[in-house]
Amino acid sequence: MKLPSITRTTTSDASLLERIGGKDEEAFSALYDRYSRLVFSEAKRILHRTGEAEEILQDVFYQLWETADRFEAEEGSLAGWMLVATRNRAITKLRRQSWLADVPDENGVAFKLGVESQASQNMLIEKVRGALENLPKASRTLLEQVYFEGASCAEVAAKTGEPLETVRRRIAGAMQELKKVSL
Amino acid sequence: MSDGKHVRAEELELYALGGLPEEDAAALKAHVAGCGECAMKLAQAQGSAALLAFAARQERPAGTIKAELMARIHADHETGERFAWPLTAEAPGRIEAPRRTGTGSGPRSRGWNWVLASAAVALVALSVILWLQNRKLAAEVRRERQSAELLVQEQREIQKLVRILAAPDTLTVKLTGTESAAGASGVVKYNGRMGILVYSAELPALPADKNYQLWLMPVDGAPISAGQLRPGDLAVENLWTSQVRVNTTPKEFVVTVEPSHGTSQPSGRRVLIGAN
Repeated sequence: MKLPSITRTTTSDASLLERIGGKDEEAFSALYDRYSRLVFSEAKRILHRTGEAEEILQDVFYQLWETADRFEAEEGSLAGWMLVATRNRAITKLRRQSWLADVPDENGVAFKLGVESQASQNMLIEKVRGALENLPKASRTLLEQVYFEGASCAEVAAKTGEPLETVRRRIAGAMQELKKVSL
Repeated sequence: MSDGKHVRAEELELYALGGLPEEDAAALKAHVAGCGECAMKLAQAQGSAALLAFAARQERPAGTIKAELMARIHADHETGERFAWPLTAEAPGRIEAPRRTGTGSGPRSRGWNWVLASAAVALVALSVILWLQNRKLAAEVRRERQSAELLVQEQREIQKLVRILAAPDTLTVKLTGTESAAGASGVVKYNGRMGILVYSAELPALPADKNYQLWLMPVDGAPISAGQLRPGDLAVENLWTSQVRVNTTPKEFVVTVEPSHGTSQPSGRRVLIGAN
């Protein structure tokens, strides 16, 4: 049974990162507990295979262990970096597209939403799902094909028979709606 | 690609999503590398794209994965050496395993070389055999650890569950089927202090694109989702658990039929209802 933790988070990402930079294994363990579910779920959603998702999970966290001192941790930036790094690695594995393997540098993702507690993560999950549900089905499918399947707009256009510009416009519109979650 | 000298926001978002073709992505990347303003906007676009990760169905990784990772970083830390990690060859930033470089010791006779070559071949063969055995044993150990970890985890969850159910301030609310689900029933145990719900329900099967969703209707404010009743979340018979905001006073609990990915507010038909 998945029983969500009821422990309130008191240590910030920034504080944990600082300690991990000094090779504090306890802090690393705490950060793993905080974000491993998000990272693993994203990798599994893309790859559909548990073993490969586990490899990605370990890769991303090991990289964090190695480069923690490079982060200028603002709230949420670490979570954003982990999710982008996970996505790029998973898509690379899925499609063998080496250019997608570019993991952004440690301060290259501005993700300002606080997701340091399980409860705040759950709330954001609900919000994002709600926002996607409110999108027209075609737009939602487009976003999923691009983000979770690694398809380019041109590939989607070829597959659906829609003009490329229409596909791009739909994605832009869908992203505008999704971004309202952050407001 | 750009208006004047900067990349358009739409292009940055498509790049962050991975929707640009490779050549456009390369051009954008080259521009961003030398443009602070576009780099900042790209960081924002990356952050927006990362929101989509929250749409994935949430699953926890097996406990053994953490144990392996902790063992590696511990060894890394202790020895001061880096392992060949990540293991995936195509992953960027790969850390190479330490390599020894031979210094050479001058010319050797042909016969001596032949002996050395034979020994090297034998060593390689032996290494392969040992590696295969090691791999098999490691897989067995991993399976055993995983089973043990799952048992311990389940035991802990059951203990937590018992604590919640036994708490004197835990409410019990019986749910009864509405007209559209006359035979259905359920019960909710809710502890507002801990913000935890434990619930059980007997409900008919639904089509694949639908799911049941439980809602806490507070005395004040909008309905609060207490999660979906997904078969995959079951572990102890028909019991689910969920966490909501602490100290919420419930007016009633309702189960509705919603799309399989869930909703932020109830919109489908009500199948179970129970007042506090």
